Amino acid sequence: MTGLRDIQMWMQDALRFLADAESGRFLAATARLSASAGLAIYQRSYFQRIVSCMREQFPALCHALGPSLFDDFVAEYIRDMPPESHTLYDLGRRFAGYLDQTRPDKDAPEVWIDFMIDLAHYERQLFVLFDAPGQEGQRFATADTPDSALRLQACFALGAYRFPVAEYYHAVRAKSAPALPPATPSHVAMVRTAFLTHTMPLTETHYLFLSTLRDGHDADHAIATVARDVGIPPNDVRRSWHSPGGMRQRWIDAGFFIEHHG
Amino acid sequence: MRLTRPKPLGLGLGLRNVHFGHILSEWPAVDWFEAISENFMDSGGYPRHVLNRVAERYPIMLHGVSMSIGSTDPLNLPYLRQLKRLADEIKPAGISDHLCWTGVLGLNSHDLLPLPLTEESLAHVTRRVRQVQDILERPLILENPSAYVHFAHSTIAEPDFLRRLSDETGCLLLLDVNNVYVTCFNMGTDPLAYLDAFPCERVVQMHIAGHQHCGTHIVDTHDRPVRADVWELYRIARARTGDVSTLLEWDGNIPPFAECHAEVRKANQAIVADRPDPAPDSGVSNPVDFMVPQVMDSTVLANA
Ligand SMILES: [Fe+2]
Repeated sequence: MTGLRDIQMWMQDALRFLADAESGRFLAATARLSASAGLAIYQRSYFQRIVSCMREQFPALCHALGPSLFDDFVAEYIRDMPPESHTLYDLGRRFAGYLDQTRPDKDAPEVWIDFMIDLAHYERQLFVLFDAPGQEGQRFATADTPDSALRLQACFALGAYRFPVAEYYHAVRAKSAPALPPATPSHVAMVRTAFLTHTMPLTETHYLFLSTLRDGHDADHAIATVARDVGIPPNDVRRSWHSPGGMRQRWIDAGFFIEHHG
Repeated sequence: MRLTRPKPLGLGLGLRNVHFGHILSEWPAVDWFEAISENFMDSGGYPRHVLNRVAERYPIMLHGVSMSIGSTDPLNLPYLRQLKRLADEIKPAGISDHLCWTGVLGLNSHDLLPLPLTEESLAHVTRRVRQVQDILERPLILENPSAYVHFAHSTIAEPDFLRRLSDETGCLLLLDVNNVYVTCFNMGTDPLAYLDAFPCERVVQMHIAGHQHCGTHIVDTHDRPVRADVWELYRIARARTGDVSTLLEWDGNIPPFAECHAEVRKANQAIVADRPDPAPDSGVSNPVDFMVPQVMDSTVLANA
């Protein structure tokens, strides 16, 4: 007698590895479909559904690789890291890491693979920010908020990449068919306000400042860190933080901060 | 389990992201919406914002795709607790899922995989439905899935399986007449005989949808209008279930809201325009809406 567990283990493997050996042991032909033809519908649907979701989660990477190479990467990814979550939103969570771990050019790194990995990280971050709990409907910091009460808002992330991936992504969005960009370090802040995610290019110094805040320190600490690590007099950093139109005002206007009480 | 039958809600549509803008600006006169639970239960962003606003104005049914009630893995308790939390917040008229399994060994195929219908499966699913109902504190509503394979050692017909399951657990049923049509065609069995055997008195909701006819078989694509034969089956089934909530599922090539709304309204008169299928045998089974948010439409690149 064949148990339910055995059948489910067999059928799941048949979907994942496209095998139909033993289908005759578990399945009977119907009046319309042979056992393997019926199974093939599930096999095709499993793969196509995941591929189409991954294409939607990584549209710029799909553009960069071309759909067929992209699909090949996805096929390898889900074979090695099959979906585990109840939600398809989780599908792309491990993709950038997977590309990094399994890169075929380990001995002689190729620059385009670095680009693919960074682009995948950026797209995943955008995807996460799209649906993460945010500050919509709550109070943001204003010019009057004291430094001690400034906190980065919940829907905020920083990114440091080896390529201008945000520009590339938005060029794909604008359907301008961008070419693979040359390697140039890029730093960005990503923030969601009114359900729109903004990517703001940052200088390396601004990135360092915001990283210090993100790690839970206050503005004074960030000023001291930047002064020490970049070699700028602390008063100059302080001035550029506080000056009209300076970092503080621009980032408050961009919705980076909420006002923390207590 | 206290038997609370959801009241008939009329003609509903699936809450689909391509329609979000239209719904929030026009507040169309649709009777109710069905929301795919998994698309909203983890959401803190725009999808959840939309569901909250829609739930203020329309009745909602939560329809799940990942409960995996038939899996031989342990029940996913964190998932069920999250579903319960969503239900506590949204206050749906009912919570449904499918008579299926989605994966084992902790995996999720994101498909509604068929169960061999045996005494073992029935006992297994019966136990699990009871557990789920205890957690959700309401009767579960289970739907007949569409199927492409027949298990060699199945011993129970699907309508009988659902009847016994419902008798044992008090669960309610969602009769998807398109799935009946698809499954019966693919199995070479008679959909009317299926309806004759189905416990129509336990049905609280019906689904209708379009499918792709590939000549030798049918794939449940949900990407086109409902076919004449399915409307006819709906008419017959509806005479037996009485007034129950009816939902049109349209999950691929989704047309503008007004077109979906017009399609579901045909349920009132079963007016039908049947069309031939252009590309046979390319169909991908798409039994539910696996909504992927349109992230690219909600991102901008600011100046440095
Ligand atoms: Fe359905």
